[in-house]
Amino acid sequence: MVTLTIDGQEIQAEEGQTVLEVARQAGIKIPALCHHPLLEPFGACRLCVVEVIRRGRSRLETSCTHPAWDGLEIKTNSPPVREARKTILGLLLSRCPNVPVIQDLAREYGVMEPPFPTDKPDEKCILCGLCVRTCHELVKADVLNFSQAGVERRVGPPFLEKTRQCIGCGACTIVCPTGAIEIVLEKDAVYQEKPLGPTSAIWVPSLTAVPRVPVIDTDACIRFRQNDRTNGEIADACGVCEMVCEAGAINFEQQDEVLELDVGAIIVATGFEMWDPHQLSQYSYGKSPNIITGLEFERLSNAGGVTGGEILTADGRKPERVAIIHCVGSRDHNAHPYCSRICCMYSLKQAHLVRDKTGAEVYEFYMDMRAFGKAYEEFYERVQKEGVTFVRGRGAEVEVLEPQNGQKYGQLRVKGEDANLGRMVQADVDMVVLSTAIEAPHDASQVASLFGLSRSEDGFFAEAHPKMRPVETNTDGVFLAGTAQGPRDVPDTVAHAGAAASMALALLDKGEVTISPTVSYVLTRYCTGCGKCVVVCPYKAISLGEDGKASVNAALCKGCGSCAAACPSDAITPLHFTDDQLVGQIMGVFYEQIVV
Amino acid sequence: MSKSSSNAIEGFEPKIVAFLCNWCSYAAADSAGVARIPSPPNVLPVRVMCSARVSAELILKAFMSGADGVIVLGCHIGDCHYDSGNHRTVKRIPLLRNLLIYMGVEPDRLRLRWVSAAESPQFAQVTTEFVKDVRPLGPLSAPLRMEGGAP
Amino acid sequence: MIEELGTKVRELLESETVECVIGYEVGPTGRVRPAFIHEPDEVGRLVFNTRCDHNLVTYLNRRNKPRKKGEEVPTTGILVKPCDARSLQVLLNENQVQRDKVYIIGVACPGMQNADGTLEARCARCSQRVPLLYDALFGTPPEVSDIADTYTDVEDMEALPREDRLAYWLGELDRCIRCYACRQACPGCFCDVCESERDDSLWIGISDAIPEKAFFHITRAFHLAGRCGECNACEMVCPMGIPLSLLNRKIVKEIEQTMGGYHAGVSEEPTPLITKLTGEEAINEIH
Repeated sequence: MVTLTIDGQEIQAEEGQTVLEVARQAGIKIPALCHHPLLEPFGACRLCVVEVIRRGRSRLETSCTHPAWDGLEIKTNSPPVREARKTILGLLLSRCPNVPVIQDLAREYGVMEPPFPTDKPDEKCILCGLCVRTCHELVKADVLNFSQAGVERRVGPPFLEKTRQCIGCGACTIVCPTGAIEIVLEKDAVYQEKPLGPTSAIWVPSLTAVPRVPVIDTDACIRFRQNDRTNGEIADACGVCEMVCEAGAINFEQQDEVLELDVGAIIVATGFEMWDPHQLSQYSYGKSPNIITGLEFERLSNAGGVTGGEILTADGRKPERVAIIHCVGSRDHNAHPYCSRICCMYSLKQAHLVRDKTGAEVYEFYMDMRAFGKAYEEFYERVQKEGVTFVRGRGAEVEVLEPQNGQKYGQLRVKGEDANLGRMVQADVDMVVLSTAIEAPHDASQVASLFGLSRSEDGFFAEAHPKMRPVETNTDGVFLAGTAQGPRDVPDTVAHAGAAASMALALLDKGEVTISPTVSYVLTRYCTGCGKCVVVCPYKAISLGEDGKASVNAALCKGCGSCAAACPSDAITPLHFTDDQLVGQIMGVFYEQIVV
Repeated sequence: MSKSSSNAIEGFEPKIVAFLCNWCSYAAADSAGVARIPSPPNVLPVRVMCSARVSAELILKAFMSGADGVIVLGCHIGDCHYDSGNHRTVKRIPLLRNLLIYMGVEPDRLRLRWVSAAESPQFAQVTTEFVKDVRPLGPLSAPLRMEGGAP
Repeated sequence: MIEELGTKVRELLESETVECVIGYEVGPTGRVRPAFIHEPDEVGRLVFNTRCDHNLVTYLNRRNKPRKKGEEVPTTGILVKPCDARSLQVLLNENQVQRDKVYIIGVACPGMQNADGTLEARCARCSQRVPLLYDALFGTPPEVSDIADTYTDVEDMEALPREDRLAYWLGELDRCIRCYACRQACPGCFCDVCESERDDSLWIGISDAIPEKAFFHITRAFHLAGRCGECNACEMVCPMGIPLSLLNRKIVKEIEQTMGGYHAGVSEEPTPLITKLTGEEAINEIH
């Protein structure tokens, strides 16, 4: 522990800290533009200069690089310090007269106008080196560095040429204090500015997640990406999250664990995915950042989202006119013929939120309003009374218009039929929300094979009986819960899942299982021990005994009868579907014609 | 030796034995009934748990007993309720059919198709088409059934 | 070759390695017939020539399985040509013969001849002149490198119009008297109770009605699917001269062409009729 005096206050500090760190910890404000707590200090911007008084002599030093020695006396806001900062800010403002963060800082120190002219008024880079240090120390990609000297000094990749070394992590854009670096995607630049914003590679997926802990997206995380890219040579890039985590909860070494469990029942609750509206080009999804899906709207209007819950267009304005289009990809023979069930109600809710938060005009293009649940119809009536305009006709097309009047993005023209009026109508709006279909996940057929499930025509998993057995499947002990079985909303999912859980518990609670009596048995007199039944059985329920004859494990046998058809000697047959019985059926049908 | 009948028999309605697997095609037939989709009345269903149960002997017995056509309907490959039962079906039925054709039986008398439980319209369509294809062949005759009770 | 063979058989019997050796001898009418040699001194009866076309493997069926609990099955020696060895492999695969209870005397085969001295049709298209399975091998394999089985016999039948095929097979079935010689001679037909001879006549009775005979032959061919080694014993023993190889080889051809080139008796792999699809098959189920 060391003791220093800052602005007359005695402050205790750890050995090895810098004056800037100690001051900031004590709540004393010192401006700095080139400082980052996780990077080596550079002393480039000079804004953090303070008076360091030692042995009666005062010197101006950058507090970001000066160690906090025992007995130091520091003045952070004395006239010499202020004068120095004013000069520095004047120089910075002269170099970058149009950067807001410098303008604000300069104003604080009385610099209203840049004292010197520049022939590059759009310059944003203050050569603070944060990007260079980040790319070198954290990302370890070493793409950026200073080159040239004097007034030609600049930051960039070698020879200012595009380089494959850049992994596109965006760390430089985040640390840059003046916004001098932008990420540009090589293709499809329209994705730059969706109103949903980027998220970091370590993030909490949802504020209501249980457990509510962050996860690392290893496809985006710089450490994992560099490790994979360099085959382990650069294994410790970044790691900022681990550095700042006070609980020490970050563990990059975690591996997937494969657990083998012996269970008596399985509930398949694998959910759904959103249908991708790129598949029907008339909705122009992807051609404007202001055409979003219902799910994206949810994120937008969520208080935990990028805009803090404000509904804004991609260029940050409140929309004045919004269109919501129902049945995008549902009830459509070019996509999914079924109704996705949940969209009418959430579209009404979204219309209500838009009205409430922005006062915008809302046009809702719908085919039928499916308000089937408790208080659903009443809510629909309420939304109508709130002034939402309902157009009864499928929203057929969304056209992206050219931007006008200095706008960044053009308006969106929604065309559709108003069936009540018997006319085509169109509305030019600032934002379009597509209520897209929900569908079975893309890997549903693999999951189905794994659990022996069949799928209905709509692609969701098939229940044992559409009316009487909604949570069971044709495989004993495997149950379905929620949207894995078909579109349903929250209350219905809760009921469905509750039913599945109850059936699973009842099964386990009984302590014994009732199996079907259609199991195969062997007529040992006829069995030659050839073993064909053993090979054919999908459940390995048949084995050859010491006597060389086949015998069936009735607990494993499911009664398919494959063995019976494979046996040339009629020596094995499933109960209730024996050769006698099947031949009996056939002969019974033709009774009148058969002589023998 | 009589030749097989020509298609000129007035009012002849073929009798079809359909082997239906319980989980797919039988369920489809059931749903087709519930949905009142018309299926030909010529079809006499024999339910088995899996199409793999249908041996060559059963098919031959059906022909010998009076079936003019036999159709086996099972689950699509990969969807068998018993995992791989229909793998054996798909090897067995075409082989039997080719052998019967080799011995002079009309190719259209034995057919194998996959119809899943959700495909009730296809059940109706497949059976309707089969009846339509068997009808002009007339009643089955040599070698599995002989006319006039002749051996 | 016959001397060396005789020496070996004598040695096997004298050392009691085997209790009996099944081979060929010339009968009193001058015809080659199967021989069961129990005594070393009887070794001189054994012959091997181009008239040794019987498949002796069928005799292993009753010798190689214990009839009573704890009964020690005797070891039997048997002479096999390549086609016979294929049937033997099928029996081994299907637990009908214990490998350590059979001493396999393989003979390289020059091809068998008909009574008129011509090469048998099946041998004319056979390129496998050395058995794949043996404990001892005798004879020098002939040079037959360029032979391939192109199934012309089956294809000629397939090419006929339907009415002609039907008439042909009705003609053949007419002559069948259900003597079951084909079934008895076939090593692959080892069922204790035959579906065609059930007491309850579940499938067919025992008359000579054509449908019943058709059932028997179609079913037998089907039961041999993927198991028939093409030894031709069935056709050779039929007293009515029915060309049974034409039926069995139709199935052999179908399996070779649609089920990944499979042939019976060349490996421990069972008939593809009972295995799962491998993805190599060329089966077209929609027709």
